[in-house]
Amino acid sequence: MIVNFWVTLGIKMALVLGVMLVGALVSIFGELKISAHMQSRIGPYFAGGRWGWAQPLADGLKFIQKEEIIPDTVDVRVFKLAPYVVLMGTMAIYVVIPFGPDMVAGNLDLGVFYVLAISSISTVGVLMAGWSSGNKYSLMGGLRAAAQLIAYELPLVLAVVGVVILAGTLSLNGIVEAQAQWQWFGVTPEWLNVIPPYLILQAVGFAIFLTASLAELSRTPFDMPIAESELVMGYLTEYSGLRFTMFFLGEYAGMVALAAIASTLFLGGYWLPFVSDDLLNFIGPVVLITKIALLVFLFIWMRWTFPRLREDQLQQLAWRILIPVALANIVVTAVLKVVF
Amino acid sequence: MSALFDYHALAPELILAFTVMAVLAVDLMPVPKYYAAVTGLVGLFASIIPLLTLALCSELSFCSDNGARLLFGDSYVVDTFSLVLKGLFLVSAFISLLLAVGYVESDRYYQGEYYFLLLASVFGAVVMASSRDLISIFVGLELVSGPAFLLAGWRKGDARSNEAALKFFIVGVLSAAILLFGMSLIYGVTGELTFSGIRAATVGGELPAVFTLGVLFVLMGFAFKVSAVPFHFWTPDTYEGAPTPVTAYLSVGSKAAGFVGLLVICYSAFANMRDIWGPALWIIAVASMTLGNLIAVRQTNVIRLLGYSSIAQGGFMLAPFAVASMVEGVELEGALFATVTYLLFYAFMNLGAFGVVMAGMSKVKSAELSSWSGMAQYAPGLSMLVVIFFFALAGVPPLAGWFAKLVMFQAIISGAPNVWAVLLGVIAAVNAVVAFFYYAKVVKTVWMDSVPVEIPAAELGGSGLNPALALALGITAIATIVTGLFPGVLSFFGEATRTFASGF
Amino acid sequence: MGELVVFVIFAPLALVGALTMVAARNPVHSAMGLLMTLFSVAVFYVSNNGHFIAAVQVIVYAGAIMTLFLFVIMLIGVDSAQDNQEVLPNQRPIAVALGLALLGLVLAAGSQGWVPRGTGSPVNGTIENVSDELFGAWILPFEVTSLLLIIASVGTIALAQFRPRAIAGDEADESAVDGELV
Repeated sequence: MIVNFWVTLGIKMALVLGVMLVGALVSIFGELKISAHMQSRIGPYFAGGRWGWAQPLADGLKFIQKEEIIPDTVDVRVFKLAPYVVLMGTMAIYVVIPFGPDMVAGNLDLGVFYVLAISSISTVGVLMAGWSSGNKYSLMGGLRAAAQLIAYELPLVLAVVGVVILAGTLSLNGIVEAQAQWQWFGVTPEWLNVIPPYLILQAVGFAIFLTASLAELSRTPFDMPIAESELVMGYLTEYSGLRFTMFFLGEYAGMVALAAIASTLFLGGYWLPFVSDDLLNFIGPVVLITKIALLVFLFIWMRWTFPRLREDQLQQLAWRILIPVALANIVVTAVLKVVF
Repeated sequence: MSALFDYHALAPELILAFTVMAVLAVDLMPVPKYYAAVTGLVGLFASIIPLLTLALCSELSFCSDNGARLLFGDSYVVDTFSLVLKGLFLVSAFISLLLAVGYVESDRYYQGEYYFLLLASVFGAVVMASSRDLISIFVGLELVSGPAFLLAGWRKGDARSNEAALKFFIVGVLSAAILLFGMSLIYGVTGELTFSGIRAATVGGELPAVFTLGVLFVLMGFAFKVSAVPFHFWTPDTYEGAPTPVTAYLSVGSKAAGFVGLLVICYSAFANMRDIWGPALWIIAVASMTLGNLIAVRQTNVIRLLGYSSIAQGGFMLAPFAVASMVEGVELEGALFATVTYLLFYAFMNLGAFGVVMAGMSKVKSAELSSWSGMAQYAPGLSMLVVIFFFALAGVPPLAGWFAKLVMFQAIISGAPNVWAVLLGVIAAVNAVVAFFYYAKVVKTVWMDSVPVEIPAAELGGSGLNPALALALGITAIATIVTGLFPGVLSFFGEATRTFASGF
Repeated sequence: MGELVVFVIFAPLALVGALTMVAARNPVHSAMGLLMTLFSVAVFYVSNNGHFIAAVQVIVYAGAIMTLFLFVIMLIGVDSAQDNQEVLPNQRPIAVALGLALLGLVLAAGSQGWVPRGTGSPVNGTIENVSDELFGAWILPFEVTSLLLIIASVGTIALAQFRPRAIAGDEADESAVDGELV
């Protein structure tokens, strides 16, 4: 029995790690190719033969081979620990993403809450990286990152509350099921829920969630922390080799993770109508991955479309617009939930 | 127990909470800033009304549920004890607000926020008066102190004010940690959060030593709040550095909240542990009154003097606690009655004294005693008020303080055969004499000394009194004189709380 | 069994974190130590079925408070070597002696047994249970706490932000004194 537990645990960990790595690599490749086509380029072309599909792998190998440079002024322990903290925060999200009714590494009662809690750890990692580098650019980048992550954590959390109110549960599986069983005025057939009900009811929440996740990921238009033109590379400046790769992977893995959470919360997750639960365990991952891919594409699209926000604009957007709107969204949702 | 949510019982709190928010909202509106103060005053007044109806309700027959109202599973109790103390808090908040109006308006302060924080602190005190479990009373206490920390540092450009806030904050946080540690030990031993539960769990049985430790830690935590020696270090510096109206509030509202917490927790939760807290508070009471008075004698700054005097007065209020372990029944009730009554009288006297200090400071721009000398020559009215309030604090008979001291001594003497009670009585008597010396010193300086030469004659008697300050001084002066002549006016309320000591 | 394993792993971590927090010269290292302690405590909550409180612990302490700590430490830019000059003579030995005395007292008291009896049945710390308690019996402290948070934010803004005198009616001179130290 005990052995069984450890074996299951091992398999689950391997799966989580695998899904994360593959997701990150695929989205890196997506970023390379999509950005290239948006700029009328071809992008990576040679590695792997066709379409340059092996480019992310080749990049990864290159980074691993490189010498890791640790500058003199660095606070070594914190510097070395930081990438692990960032990556751990991201990886832990994958544990609760439901790919099917049973295709989930850990179905927690408080899935959403867990995600929000654990993802906040990454912030600490970013701060550690920025401070320990002993470099003013890094410090500035770390400070900006922290200010930004604190500011956008709030709308992220508040946007989710609307969904939680509607679903009446914090469990991610529960939220998917609640969307599957949603009834418009108590009469609608189930199949209509292919159009995700929360996408319509929580459109505001969805928009806030997407915006805030972009900021949480420090991606353009919210990439002040690593703004190349002014901060070299922000908190990443002094990192090289394997540790840089970890940050890099962490960023894309985080993108996939947040896209997965957004798909689960707002887009119906793995669910399809007319499919039994057993079958859904096999089809579900495909459905979810499709939705994730759509959202990741959206993230990439935004990155290559919008200019960067200035720091004060960025903070104003969070505190003056997103948070009040998210609060209003909660109030309206709660009132409607009680009324209907 | 009535319904889960007894709106009538919670009405004072609800009105006050609404007022707190309304003040913040009014501050945002494009109206003159003193509207916020007016809103606060109206709200305070409005929340006194349900106190009266609740008090009447326990007397009248047509009221459906009379007697004590228990809410939230015994953890929130509205009885005469809590009603009286809520009344004390609201009235003293009313006066504190009046004191603050002119001061806040004349300087560059955030006015709306100031009133908001003051009222929020009062709200915490009101919640504390009814709280009958560890969590509620702790949260209430934090709500009292939290705004006070901020208010103490309200003069941002003044390094002393910053120092005051920082000292107050650090000591306050430390005391909160000690208090929580004690509470956690008590909860660990008894498994109860409500005071009635703790009281039931401690009947007769053998309790482990950690429980004693928990009781002592809780006492320590509250001793910080009431600035009793040896937990008083923050008091003089904070009182001096903080804006004067804040000091007035700290020395009355915030201090009274600490005493209420001590009263509630000692007489209800630890009712069976009087052997522990009685002697502990004996030491604290003696140390407070002796040290407070002795140091106050040497003070040259009126505010610091009042700071040490409030430490000493706190010692007098703690004295009846000390005899509680020696007496039973009616005399135990007498000990509670003495502390509550002392609090009621002290509130008016001390607020008045701070009002006078503020008025004096507006005349001579200084709180140094030397610059106050000869004030009677150019401000006779104000100097008369100095006499009233400082002699009242000293306990000179026709003024309010004598009755407070009388009931305090009565309570001490009730434990008389016991040698410790006698010793306490002697020490308190000596202290009362010492205290008279420095209160009289202020009066002497104001009336008998000559005006210091360095103050240009043109500046003296400059600005008239702010109407709000004048109103506050008027209320407190009348209260001090009337309750001195007819102590029954206030001691009636003290009597109403008596039964709290004999249990529920 | 599982709980024991978790305890054996994380209890030393929590202690090491706490010691680092106190002993480290570098404030950022102190903060890291505190973070480790807080995280270990969160793990204990999980092993005691307090999932919700564990998540709260992580989101509040690790997420918000520690970020704020680090943020402030970095903004102030503390040098790694702190000035340890003391104003009060012999403060350190006296403090150590008194602290040890207190520790001795607590341990002596505790040697007779910390928690003499288990009370009640263990409650599963699920969200339903927590929220039933929180919004039932403890609604008043809960609401009071919310007021406490508003106070904190209002007070912090008022203390941190320098604003010219804004008495209604003299808005005109606001720009003149803008930025002046209040």
